Amino acid sequence: MTNRERALALLHFKPVDRLPAVHFGYWPELLTEWVQLGKIPAELAVGNYDGSEKERELDKLIGWDFNYYRTYGSNNHLLPGFERKVIEVLPDGTQRIQNGDGVIEKIKPGITSIPSEDDYLLKDRESFEKYYRPKMQYAPQRVDIEFYKKFNDNRPYDIPVGLHLGSVLGNIRNICTVAGMSYLIYDEDEELFADIVDTYAEMQYKCAEAILQTGAKFDFAHYWEDICFKNGPLISPSLFDEICAKHYKKRTELCHKYGIDIISLDCDGVTDRLLDTWVQNGVNTMFPIEVGVWGDQFESARKKYGKEVLGVGGMDKTALRVDKAAVDKEIERMKRLASLGGFIPCPDHRLMPGTKFELVQYYAEEIKKITI
Amino acid sequence: MSILEEISDNLQHGKAKAVKELVQQAVDEGIPPETVLKEGMLPGMNIIGEKFKNNEVYVPEVLVAARAMNMGAQVLKPYLEKAGVKAVGKVCLGTVQGDLHDIGKNLVKMMLEGKGLEVIDLGVDVSPDTFVNTAVEQNCQIICCSALLTTTMGVMGEVVKKAEEAGIRDKVKIMIGGAPVSQAFCDQIGADCYTPDAASCADAAVQFCLAMQ
Repeated sequence: MTNRERALALLHFKPVDRLPAVHFGYWPELLTEWVQLGKIPAELAVGNYDGSEKERELDKLIGWDFNYYRTYGSNNHLLPGFERKVIEVLPDGTQRIQNGDGVIEKIKPGITSIPSEDDYLLKDRESFEKYYRPKMQYAPQRVDIEFYKKFNDNRPYDIPVGLHLGSVLGNIRNICTVAGMSYLIYDEDEELFADIVDTYAEMQYKCAEAILQTGAKFDFAHYWEDICFKNGPLISPSLFDEICAKHYKKRTELCHKYGIDIISLDCDGVTDRLLDTWVQNGVNTMFPIEVGVWGDQFESARKKYGKEVLGVGGMDKTALRVDKAAVDKEIERMKRLASLGGFIPCPDHRLMPGTKFELVQYYAEEIKKITI
Repeated sequence: MSILEEISDNLQHGKAKAVKELVQQAVDEGIPPETVLKEGMLPGMNIIGEKFKNNEVYVPEVLVAARAMNMGAQVLKPYLEKAGVKAVGKVCLGTVQGDLHDIGKNLVKMMLEGKGLEVIDLGVDVSPDTFVNTAVEQNCQIICCSALLTTTMGVMGEVVKKAEEAGIRDKVKIMIGGAPVSQAFCDQIGADCYTPDAASCADAAVQFCLAMQ
């Protein structure tokens, strides 16, 4: 079986020869660390991103079959984005920067953590109408139609590839910030918030539709959201359902029309209280199911929704920083979850600094020995 | 509904302007500022904190309630100072060195203030020395450290070590929290307390401060 055949068979509850060794990429700092430790050649740490040649070379060195996260999409961000500019440099070197979303961020030199959000522009109806609504419209330049017309001739067929559907709320959260989103809901009204979500969602729908209309074929579709944290969702599940459900449903219907039946979603944090909205509206695959940092779980979702919910991920990547015994424990857990069907084990997000190269090789080797 | 109940109710619903006006009205009517704080504002935040712990409200509700609390507190502050009312305790709070995430840290700050604690917010990317020096210089009873990254949580152990070196471990409690942090990690580094959410952190902090009085 090819990697693609194996992955798609697993996600359709069909028999496979063995489990695939699948990953979800690396923190750049880890690749640098592995170079410094002499584990990988220096050239593999540069230009190594999802689907790159360098990544495939590293896959071979480690023993991975492939990176599951291979998606193609459109420019579904603000268009044009705000000019990125330095507003102020503080005495400690911290830069206050306006980013492409109009959010003011603090960036500290030498720190790779995501920036700290300091202020934002989308605060009320006036700022939405003046600055944001025009940037959230569909435009032909958002989709590289020529690329997608030739997509089926050029796409890889040895791995599954996905259509990136964007997000329903995640981008809005990025644009407003968490605090700003909260104040917007309360200070203005839910109608404005819903209008923002609707406007952005409509543009993203049109982007996906334009891609699919070219005849480009995909094995799955995928959302990014990141709207949960350690203790659950960042907004109330009922408001989320009220405002967002219809947009998932609409994009699901589009995907189904074009033969895509696997629709996955990447959301940080503990996601269980939003699953009703997702599952009821066609999102059927949890990826990457962050067990280690956030305590998210696949088992409980499977128990609640049965075979309506598929999973890719769920392997506690922090075990790869510990020892063989910790990895073995995770492999046993993965074996049990894979036996449920509709589940592909994968480290539960990008591998981070401190991950031991030999343990990753060991995991990849051992997971491939499992037959179900 | 009494005016104190009205303050609590409006605070819970995030009505900052109403809270501000009601607090001023209560003081003008001769209600002691400490009573306005302890029987109006703090109960409102307590209810929000409990609901947050029980997943009955979410981050937006906490943020707007905390903002209303802050508006009311600004009105009340000069009256409290004049009346000689002191905070329950003093906390220095920050996200540890190398980590710029501040949503969780800010939620904790709001909850701590909502419990009547004075908070010195050290911001993000805070070094162990800054935590410890601030605690010493400002006579803080508690150091609160936040981290979102598995790669930065180790700095919390450094804060514990620095506090030991500075000889303040018997005077200052070190509390930790954040996505990758757990009770096991707290035990491992020798911190005093791990709490899973902002409201629990504020509860524990008040208990520590009361015990140290």
